[in-house]
Formats: sequence, structure tokens, C-alpha cells
Amino acid sequence: MKGTRRWLLQLAVVVLLLTLMGVLINNLAVNLLRTGLGLSFSWLSRPTGFALAEHALPYSPSDSYAWALFVGWINSLKVISAGLVAATILGVLAGSARRSTNPLLRALAALYVSVIRQIPLLLQLFFWYFVALLGLPQSNPSPLGSLFTLTNQGIAVLGVHLSVEFTAVLLALSVFTGASIAEVVRGGLDSVPRGQWEAFRSLGLSERLGLRKVVLPQALPAILPGLSSQYLNLAKNSTLAIAIGYSDLYSVSDTSITQTGRAIEGFLLLLLSFLLLNLLINGVMQLLNRAVIRRGQRS
Amino acid sequence: MRACKALIRHCRFYPIDSVLSLGVIALIIWVLWASISWIVQAADWSVVSSHLPLFASGSYPLDQRWRPLLWISLLAALTLITLIVPIKRGSNRWMGMVLPWCWVFMIPLGLVLMAGGLGLTPVPSRAWGGISLTLLLTVCSAVLALPFGILLALGRTSDLPVLRHSSRLYIDVMRAVPLIAVLFFGKLLIPLFLPMQLEINQVLRAVVAFALFAAAYVAEDVRGGLQAIPETQREAAAVLGLSPLQSLQLVVLPQALRIAIPALTNQAIGLLQNTSLMALLGLVELLGIAQNLLANPAFIGRHLEVYVWLGALYWLFCTAMALLARKIEHSGPTLNGRSA
Repeated sequence: MKGTRRWLLQLAVVVLLLTLMGVLINNLAVNLLRTGLGLSFSWLSRPTGFALAEHALPYSPSDSYAWALFVGWINSLKVISAGLVAATILGVLAGSARRSTNPLLRALAALYVSVIRQIPLLLQLFFWYFVALLGLPQSNPSPLGSLFTLTNQGIAVLGVHLSVEFTAVLLALSVFTGASIAEVVRGGLDSVPRGQWEAFRSLGLSERLGLRKVVLPQALPAILPGLSSQYLNLAKNSTLAIAIGYSDLYSVSDTSITQTGRAIEGFLLLLLSFLLLNLLINGVMQLLNRAVIRRGQRS
Repeated sequence: MRACKALIRHCRFYPIDSVLSLGVIALIIWVLWASISWIVQAADWSVVSSHLPLFASGSYPLDQRWRPLLWISLLAALTLITLIVPIKRGSNRWMGMVLPWCWVFMIPLGLVLMAGGLGLTPVPSRAWGGISLTLLLTVCSAVLALPFGILLALGRTSDLPVLRHSSRLYIDVMRAVPLIAVLFFGKLLIPLFLPMQLEINQVLRAVVAFALFAAAYVAEDVRGGLQAIPETQREAAAVLGLSPLQSLQLVVLPQALRIAIPALTNQAIGLLQNTSLMALLGLVELLGIAQNLLANPAFIGRHLEVYVWLGALYWLFCTAMALLARKIEHSGPTLNGRSA
């Protein structure tokens, strides 16, 4: 009796979902026929005709849409990977500072976290781009000479030139995500029993050494899941780069969709790229997680 | 005083640390001094002060501006009352009963005030903007996302495979895509998926897209709450003769939602912050207004003033939300109208 009811319920859900999908797809087909678009991916091999301000690989407007999207993907990957590193460093520093013995450092870290987390990322991005970076002087003679220059044309460190757009996205992403990572790290540190702190202090270890050798390794299993979700957030948030004209994956997709009118196909490709990116980050984090757990079991 | 004593003790034990602290203190004083002198002297606040109505309500018709302003003031007043009035069990039961209904009432009130109807002149959604639009977007999408998210969470934890897998697919896909892509999808594609005759306005499309997106995150938070409820609770409810539906409604969900409140608050705050993305998609909410203002040649170089003002506003809204949530969390079971 109960079994039949379960089956009936599931059947009802399936029918409901299929009907919903059928109606949506039917509407889509009608609308596509009406606008004469149809579904096709042949536009991917046509030349784009638009230039990209920044490309790590050779690219010209006569290249195909597919290549432009790939270059955008590489640009995204570039800013995401740099952002991951910077945000992690910032977050671990700020998170540890919140449990430091120095009251000033604690207050400073708390201020950072509470201010940054309550202001939208897009506003912060605009601030970094329009105020902090574009507000710099045209030429800025620095005491380090050609080793490090900071102008409103970009940043040059040891011959490597970073564009203003890239720097702004990187700063915004790492400062914003750093604040969230700080909270994750703080939570992880709090999960380590008080006795462990007292133990390394009574052994005469310095705060920094104790944190690195005793507390952080034990906090890692609690930190990693939160960390990987923050990494995924950072990757997703990198799409805001379009707001200041950094040619990331989303911005290239957006331009392609506007030019070709292929909204559905473009969106599908975007979806696939992000699923791929997510799988990548998730995979790496899972490997890390497993390594941490294995190390924990061995010791 | 206690902090002072702690500081002195600290300096005695960690001399190197103290020198470092002095450096940090000097830095903080310098930053504070520079900021204050900029705020008081260098900054030109006229770009903000002469456009206050614009920030509040966008290009809302001049003679009707009192409507969004009234709504914002009512929301602010209600927030203050809720934060100030102590909700203790037993005492002030009257307030504890009335306040939640006031909050519920604010949503249709906001919609009527903004859109018109019931004797008010209709105002098309094109003319909505500023803080009132930001708040309206947040409130409406949150109200839609919560029930949908709860349903998804229940589906995700259900023991019926079809329900479980379809909910899971939805949640995973939504959580994998960036919000701006969902909003873009909403703007471009929702019209494609709807019958030709049905045209829905831009604000509604944004609300739907926000709600569909947020629901996936709400679902995961509610699932966390559901998992924290021990199986014995359901068993106890079953022994008392409650049907599975009743046990869910009266025993499991109220407890699970209470556990999920901190996480849900973060989602709500994130939702408010994320409404700023609509500035990229053509709605003139708070950030959109600011970008429009700054595009005006008369205000070239006034970015910092506008952004500091906006940052302060967003900070205020988010902090108010966090405080409200903390109040709800600590107010006890009287919240849902039943006595403790």
C-alpha cells in the first residue's frame, strides 16, 4: 500500500517535470521559429571581428569565436588562479590574526572582515578600478626604478606587465574572498581544542611556530571544505570582470552572444565551461583533502 | 579599562610584539587622520547631497516621490522598533505577536506603493530606482526563494529517488553557474521560454532570476538544518500519532529553520549585495544610479565620494539585517505566533 503510494507520487513528479519542460521547450521552439534563429553552433568557426584588450595567446579579430572564447577562458583562469593564491594568503593571515594574542592585530582583522563582507563586491571592484588604480598618476617615478612601477597604465614588476583591469579584478577578488576565508580559518582554529593552544604555549613554542606546527595542521580538516566553497565563489565572482572591461570568459561570451544573437548556444557553452571549472577546483580540493586526512591518520 | 589593563600586561610579556603594535598604531592614526581630513576638507560632497532623492527613488515621478520615501521610512522605523523593543517570553507578548505581521505586511505595501493601484497612480517599473528598488528586489526575491528553497531541501533529503535526484541536479547546476549569467539568462532567455503573448517586465524578470538562483543556496542551508535534527524527533512525533506531514510541519521544520537562521541571514545579506549586479544589466538600483551619476561630465573625478557614500549605505543595510536576524534567533519560540 505504502509502496504504491510512493510510486504514484514519484510518477506525478515525473509527469509534472516533463510537462513543465515540454511547455518550456515548445515555447522555445515556437519563439526560435518565429525569430528564424534555430539552433546551430556553426557561428563558432566564423571570425569575430572584435578585438580583445588582453590575450595571453596570439589573437586577432579575424580569429574564430571558438578561439576568442578559449582566450577568454585562459584570461579567466589567469585571474582566478592568481586570486586563489592571494586570497588564501590574505585570508589565512587575517584569520590567524583574529585569534592572535595581540589585541590590536585582532581588532584590525575584525575590522577588515566586518567592513569588506558588508559591501558588495561590484562596488569594491569599481573602487579599485576607478579610484585606486585609474586615480594613479600617468607616470610615477618609483624609488625602485624599473623593478616596480605603478601607474594608471598598469603595474610592471620585474618586466612583467599587468594591466589595470587585471590588477583591479585581482585586488577586488582577493580582498573580498580573503575576508570570507578569514572567517573560515577562524572557525577552523576555534575547532581545535583550547588545550592544544595551552599545551604548545606551556612547551615554550612561540605563537607563530605553535600556530604553524600544532594548531593549523589540526584545523585543516575543518578548514578545507569551507575553503573550497570560497574558491568556487571566487571563480564565479570573477565574471564581474565584465563590469570594468577585462576580457574574461563571461565578457567574451556576452559580446559573442550580442553579436551573433545566439543566446541559447552561448549560454550552454558558458554553463559547460563553468561546470568544467568547478570540477577542476573541486577535484584539486578533494585531492588536497584526501592528502590532509591521510597525513592526519599517519601521524 | 579592562582592555587597558590587558594591554599593559601584554606589553610586559611581549616586548617585540609591542614595538610592532606601536608601528600599527602609528599607521592607524595616520590613516584615520588622512581619512578624516579628506572627509571634512578635500571631499566635495555636493554630488551626494544634491542628489539624495535620486539615490532614494531613482527617476520616480516627482509628485509621487513620497511613495518610495514612505516605504523606506516605514521599513527603517520597523527595523528600529524591532531592534529596540525587547522580545522576552511572557512580557511584551503583544509586540511579539504584532511585529512579525507588520513585517509580512510591508511586502504587499511596498509593491502597491511602488507600482500604484488601489487609488494610487500607476508608475511603470521603468521609473523605479535607487534604494527603494534595491530593497524591493531583495525583499521580493527573498520571499520567493525561501519556500522554493525549503521545497528543494525537502526534495533533496527525500527517500524518493526521483525527487532526490531532480532536486539535486537543480541545486548543483544553479550553484555551479555565476549569478550574473543567471541574471543575463533571465533578461535574454526568459522571454524566449514563455509564450509570445506573455510579456513580463524587467523588474519581475530580475526577481524571478534572483529567486531561482538564491533558492539553490537556501536549499543547502535548510538541508544543513534538517540534517541537524535527530531522527528521534520524527520518531517521537510518529509515536504521538502525527502524520508524516504534520511531523514535518510542526516538529522538524520549525527546529531545522531555527538552526538554519544564521546561514539564511548570510544568504539574505548576499542577496542584498548581489542586487547591485543589476546595475550591469540595466536596472538603476542603488549602484546603477551611482554609475549613471558618475557618467555625467559634471561629476568627473567624484568617484570616491559616491563610492564611500554607497559603501556606507550598503554597510548599514547589511548590518541592520544581521542585527535583525540575531534578534529573531534569540527571541525564542514565541516568534511563530505560538506561545512558548
